[in-house]
Amino acid sequence: METKTFKPGDKVKIQTKSKTWEGLVLESHDSSIILLKLKSGYNIGIREGEILDAEVLAKAEGIKKEKPEIVVDSNLPNVALIITGGTISSRLDSKTGGVIGTDKDDILNIAPKLKEICNPIIVSPFMKMSEDMDPKDWIKIAEECEKYLNDESISGIIVTQGTDTLHYTASALSFFLRNLNKPIALTYSQRSVDRASTDASLNLVCAARYAVSEIAEVAIVGHRDSNDKVCLAMPATKTRKMHTSKRDAFHIINGEPIAEITKEKLIPLKDFDVRLLTKPKLDAKYSDKVALVRVYPGQDPSILEYYEKEGYRGIVLETTGLGHVPTKDSNNNWLPKIKKAILNGMTICAVAGTINGRLNPNVYSAGRDLQKSGIIYLKDMLAETALVKLGWVLAHKKWEVKEKMLENIADEYSPTLHN
Amino acid sequence: MEQIKEGKAQTKNTASSVTRHPSPSSVNPEGFTPASQSAHDYKKIGLKSGLEIHQQLDTHKLFCNCPSILRNDEHKYEVKRTLNPVVGETGIVDVAAKHEAAQNKDFIYQVYDTNCLVEIDEEPPHTINQEALEIALQIAHLLNCKIFPVTQIMRKTVINGSNTTGFQRTAMIAHDGYIEISTGKISIDALMLEEDSARKVSVNEDGTVTYKLDRLGIPLVEIATGPHMHTPEEIKEAALKLGEILRACKVKRGLGTIRQDVNISIEGSKRVEIKGFQDPKMMKKTIDLEIERQKKCVEENTCQEEVRNALPDGTTEFLRPMPGAARMYPETDHPLLKISRELMDRTKKNLPKLASEHKSYLSEFGLNDELIKLLLKQNMIEEFKTLLHSCDNHELIAKTLTLFQKEISRKENKELKEINEIFDAHMLESILEKVGKDISSNDVKGIMLKIVQGKTLSEATEKSDVDLRGEAEKLIAEKPGLSQGAYMGLLMGKFKGQVSGKDVSEVLKKIL
Repeated sequence: METKTFKPGDKVKIQTKSKTWEGLVLESHDSSIILLKLKSGYNIGIREGEILDAEVLAKAEGIKKEKPEIVVDSNLPNVALIITGGTISSRLDSKTGGVIGTDKDDILNIAPKLKEICNPIIVSPFMKMSEDMDPKDWIKIAEECEKYLNDESISGIIVTQGTDTLHYTASALSFFLRNLNKPIALTYSQRSVDRASTDASLNLVCAARYAVSEIAEVAIVGHRDSNDKVCLAMPATKTRKMHTSKRDAFHIINGEPIAEITKEKLIPLKDFDVRLLTKPKLDAKYSDKVALVRVYPGQDPSILEYYEKEGYRGIVLETTGLGHVPTKDSNNNWLPKIKKAILNGMTICAVAGTINGRLNPNVYSAGRDLQKSGIIYLKDMLAETALVKLGWVLAHKKWEVKEKMLENIADEYSPTLHN
Repeated sequence: MEQIKEGKAQTKNTASSVTRHPSPSSVNPEGFTPASQSAHDYKKIGLKSGLEIHQQLDTHKLFCNCPSILRNDEHKYEVKRTLNPVVGETGIVDVAAKHEAAQNKDFIYQVYDTNCLVEIDEEPPHTINQEALEIALQIAHLLNCKIFPVTQIMRKTVINGSNTTGFQRTAMIAHDGYIEISTGKISIDALMLEEDSARKVSVNEDGTVTYKLDRLGIPLVEIATGPHMHTPEEIKEAALKLGEILRACKVKRGLGTIRQDVNISIEGSKRVEIKGFQDPKMMKKTIDLEIERQKKCVEENTCQEEVRNALPDGTTEFLRPMPGAARMYPETDHPLLKISRELMDRTKKNLPKLASEHKSYLSEFGLNDELIKLLLKQNMIEEFKTLLHSCDNHELIAKTLTLFQKEISRKENKELKEINEIFDAHMLESILEKVGKDISSNDVKGIMLKIVQGKTLSEATEKSDVDLRGEAEKLIAEKPGLSQGAYMGLLMGKFKGQVSGKDVSEVLKKIL
């Protein structure tokens, strides 16, 4: 019998030399292997060559899902839940055995307590893994946010996304949405929502607490540590993914948490911008001709010429130490090429490759020489935030670039360090 | 805090007990009485019974490189977690998972410096432990099973907190084997390789449960027999046979390293799994009482598939509904597990011998039954074989490996494990090679004792520089007319530990 006639989900009987198997066919990534789910729940593989006879007992049925009942409680505030993909919206696909995006409302299954805090209004402008996102996606999210910020019936916004580039999106929303009038929480999960240990459960509930709070700032809301107890609301422009897999992957760099949040309550930890009754302004112009270049020992500065040739208008350099690049004592002196690029109209900014700490170009002569080239030192700004800001600033033709890059627009500079 | 007395936990265990300790870990034969004396006519009521055996393997953990060491000392830190009910692969929340979800959700995990991020669910699992896979394949061969060329590591939803992930990783490795017992063949339905769960420490006042993570992730082989045992005697014999096969492979020994569950049904009832037998002697009584309970269920038409916990008095209590297929979904962090023909063949070629085979092998060396039993019990076959090259006194080799070490451990009031560690094969080889040259076979025990007392091998084997003959003549001259025994006593007292009684008596015999 032609095994090709099997479809994922079919109940089949397969005879091999050793045994007759009954089970559900799963989609196999290896075309020579039939993947079968047995009654015990175990999946096993049968090589196509071993099959002597096969029969379809029942055709695939649509999977019946237990859907959560969405009951709107008119006493609770409404919160827009903007879902864009990532682990927090990924679940196992029984057909393919791989991980796919969930149904939008699957997310409520894992955080039932969310519905005690707010009525979630779920929307999804797109679904993709965060490594596949680009600035156009940031703009789409910002536009979606603007809609709900202007909707009086909506109290706040939760955006869910994959962790890999979540801090870029957070920065973009901080710059794109001026005069922010409501809270925006970006949240995530590091363990997918099809497992009982998912961190999404606490993250979503805490994000909901933030979305109904008085804090009109963009924040990344997620685990403070490895325990499922406390989340932090972290400032959008001062937070970075610092671990590949842990629940507390996001760390605040050169900054302080906005609030501490548990399932029960939110405690502000600093002064914050309060809700406004005014309307926000969406300013989502963006030039993607900006690049992030990390400086390393012996690196050839010709990379700058490549970017110039490709029409790039801005480069953020992750410099060494307090803000250095290889200079005259090196075989690859960067100074002439930096000067030339700047003269040709390229904006070059320096951030700290050490991630933590603040630049200070006055300490060493290498820094003093570099200063003269016209490079803009971005003090304690995160490299990712700097990249997003540079793309945003360069898209505004009338703006004076250096002045704007040094202006503290979305708390991208620590107030105590901003001088 | 209420301390948990858990059948499968080894709260009294020390780290040592998971390395190499003798233990009769199979079902105790005393636990059964002949069918004729029992309360039930098993044939008539259609008793169907199967065994599920979980055996720890003696390797590092299944999905990370952490050592499989049980800890009773203070943990390094704690992690607090919540487990949430989730929708499984087929979109259905499993009935067993639902039941567990309705109970405790908050858990505390005690983390040791022998744990890593994998056990605390902060990192995806590493590649499956190859050694554990090979041991599982050996066991599969010994059970005459057919091995799956392709299988998938599954997640079995467990949300009682005993797994930080909320599931147990498990893979079906082999199927359809058999063992032979006196009444015929008992089929082996399936063999799984899976990770062990965390050990429960306590139930706290606020309802949270505390677990320690030392046991989580130790490789386990699960063997499920077919429901083909119709009397408790057959269950006993099958369990003993399976125990013998497992102990021939690289498995952990000692309390808690093997666990047995029994599946029972009678005509008209549904399958019930009984877990947590604390005392194997209670197995028969437990089965009889369960049959009684199932008879009642059949009458009342209230039978359901369920998991029950064996209590010390032989009764059982409801634990949870029997988990269904909805409980299992693939471990997406791993690709399909392919078992090559080469790996199947290689593991089949190097199969270990069973104890019964070892027994006949050892008796060829003229060892008595007691020594054979000790060698088997202490798992010293390989060491015995190695030492055959350095000495031709087989009995002496066996004694140095077993009896002598036991005696020294008692005499010096030291743990046998400590003594075992001193006398590894290398050390024993060095001692035995001197036999017949520098030392006599009678000296070996004394030399071993001296080494335990802190002497080096060369110090311990040094010949006494006492001029025994001269000393004896001097003594006889000083105190003439005493008996040989009296001279012997005086000399032994004077040169305590430096001379052997045998040497003294020989010298005296010559002079007197």
